Amino acid sequence: MIQADGLTKYYAQHPAIVDVSFQVEEGEIVAFLGPNAAGKTTTMRILTGYMPATFGTAQVAGFDLAEQSLQARRNIGYMPEAVALYPDMRVYQYLSYCGRLQGMGKAELTERMEYVIDRCGLSERASSIIGTLSLGFRQRVSLAQAMLHDPPVLILDEPTVGLDPNQIVEVRELIKSLAGDHTVLLSTHILPEAQMTCERVIIINEGEIVAEGSPQALTAQLRQAETLLVTIRDDDGTVARQIKNIPEVVDVRSAEQASSYYVETEVGSDLRADLSKFIVEKGWGLLELRPVEMSLEDVFRELTTEEKGVA
Amino acid sequence: MRNILTIAGKELRSYFTSPMAYVLAVFYLGIIGYIFIAIFLLMPQAQTEHLRDLIGSMLFLTLFIIPMLTMGLFAQERASGTMELLMTRPVRDWEVVVGKFLATVSLFASVIIISMSYPAILEVVAKVDWAMILTGYLGLLLAGAAFAALGTFASSLTSNQIAAAIIAVFMLLFLWLVGALSYSVSQSLGDVFKHLSVMENYQDFSKGIIDTKNIIYFLSLIFVSLFLAVRTIENRRTI
Repeated sequence: MIQADGLTKYYAQHPAIVDVSFQVEEGEIVAFLGPNAAGKTTTMRILTGYMPATFGTAQVAGFDLAEQSLQARRNIGYMPEAVALYPDMRVYQYLSYCGRLQGMGKAELTERMEYVIDRCGLSERASSIIGTLSLGFRQRVSLAQAMLHDPPVLILDEPTVGLDPNQIVEVRELIKSLAGDHTVLLSTHILPEAQMTCERVIIINEGEIVAEGSPQALTAQLRQAETLLVTIRDDDGTVARQIKNIPEVVDVRSAEQASSYYVETEVGSDLRADLSKFIVEKGWGLLELRPVEMSLEDVFRELTTEEKGVA
Repeated sequence: MRNILTIAGKELRSYFTSPMAYVLAVFYLGIIGYIFIAIFLLMPQAQTEHLRDLIGSMLFLTLFIIPMLTMGLFAQERASGTMELLMTRPVRDWEVVVGKFLATVSLFASVIIISMSYPAILEVVAKVDWAMILTGYLGLLLAGAAFAALGTFASSLTSNQIAAAIIAVFMLLFLWLVGALSYSVSQSLGDVFKHLSVMENYQDFSKGIIDTKNIIYFLSLIFVSLFLAVRTIENRRTI
């Protein structure tokens, strides 16, 4: 449904994105993950037909954004990053304006307006003037206009920014429920959000795609060592050195709490039994020993701060 | 066409939800009313032909009123960020430009139609030459539309409304004053200046003459300005 091929965008001399290629299949929910200024918004603006790419092509719902921009735009619901609405309009007036610009007929528009107002929790605010609404409600209006014309493709740029925790949960549920009938590409810099709402994650950093896959696959792919967290009672200061001398142990790092260590061992090895025996024999008083899963957060940090090109 | 009307309707409504339309209409009609009283009640030798001067003063006022109406058309959308969503709708750039332009023109047209009550009042006590009045109004409407087109273009250039208004006023003042320059330059250049001048092209209308040359002048001013506005918006997409 969404196809990006070698998208490159220069602002003056500075490249915002370089050779960005990816694909989103029908019915998928994909997160576009990256730190601020990574090129997420630029990519989305190209995909929504707001601006052309310097190089590369993009297709949405089978329509080329450069050649058949209007047809492509008809099939997209877009929620821009900055929630920008007309403050002097009422919610229903605004939605009706949006629907008419999308070419909706009167009956269809009435029906869909009722539907999105309900789905986005705007029933009690439908006749409010947008300028008087709180940020959370404005965000919902913005989401409502994106869903209004029932577009096959939804492109949501940071849809949960500025919402309170309850609203975030609601909006995530709403987005999740759109899967299947809709293809959703959403950008975020919040990792749990990507993990919770999306089946697939595309990580972008400094304008380039650095990794792509399901959250589970990404974490597995990036795991270079098995990690165990060990906490002991009687630390005489030599613990780290002695554990490191065990042949399969690659590295020992101090953890956040005192007398706790991350013990990295070779990929595929399970040292839990051996290590606990070793510590008990030394009489250090083993308090805790458990494997540590690499979270998407670690993957993200690894990819966006240290060396790139893991994918 | 539908898209143009949708956009025009939305812009018209926002004129009336902000105090803008009311303030400008009251200001405009008030000043015209004052001039009307000054001519016809205070000047003992006043003739109905003086209505021509009244419409002339309306044209001059229009020069300042129109930029205030057009300054927000695009500048505000840019400043508030609503431009992005508007530009990702399945709507052509020129439809947006024409829609906004038409909103300003229809507001202006309604205000000058209201101002026709002044000659209508005069009709009660004297014989008014309606043919002359109506051609004068036609010229006024065409000039106002041309001003609105230029103002639309000015608004597409910037995200600052005040800057947009100032740019528009200066462009209009240039077109207003360029005729006066024609006497201080060479004959051929002077002719060019005269052809560019709003005053020169309006004059015939005020005398009750409809000349295609003048109509073409205003229509081409509208066309060129709107074309430039569309191009500006297209270019703005790429940066």
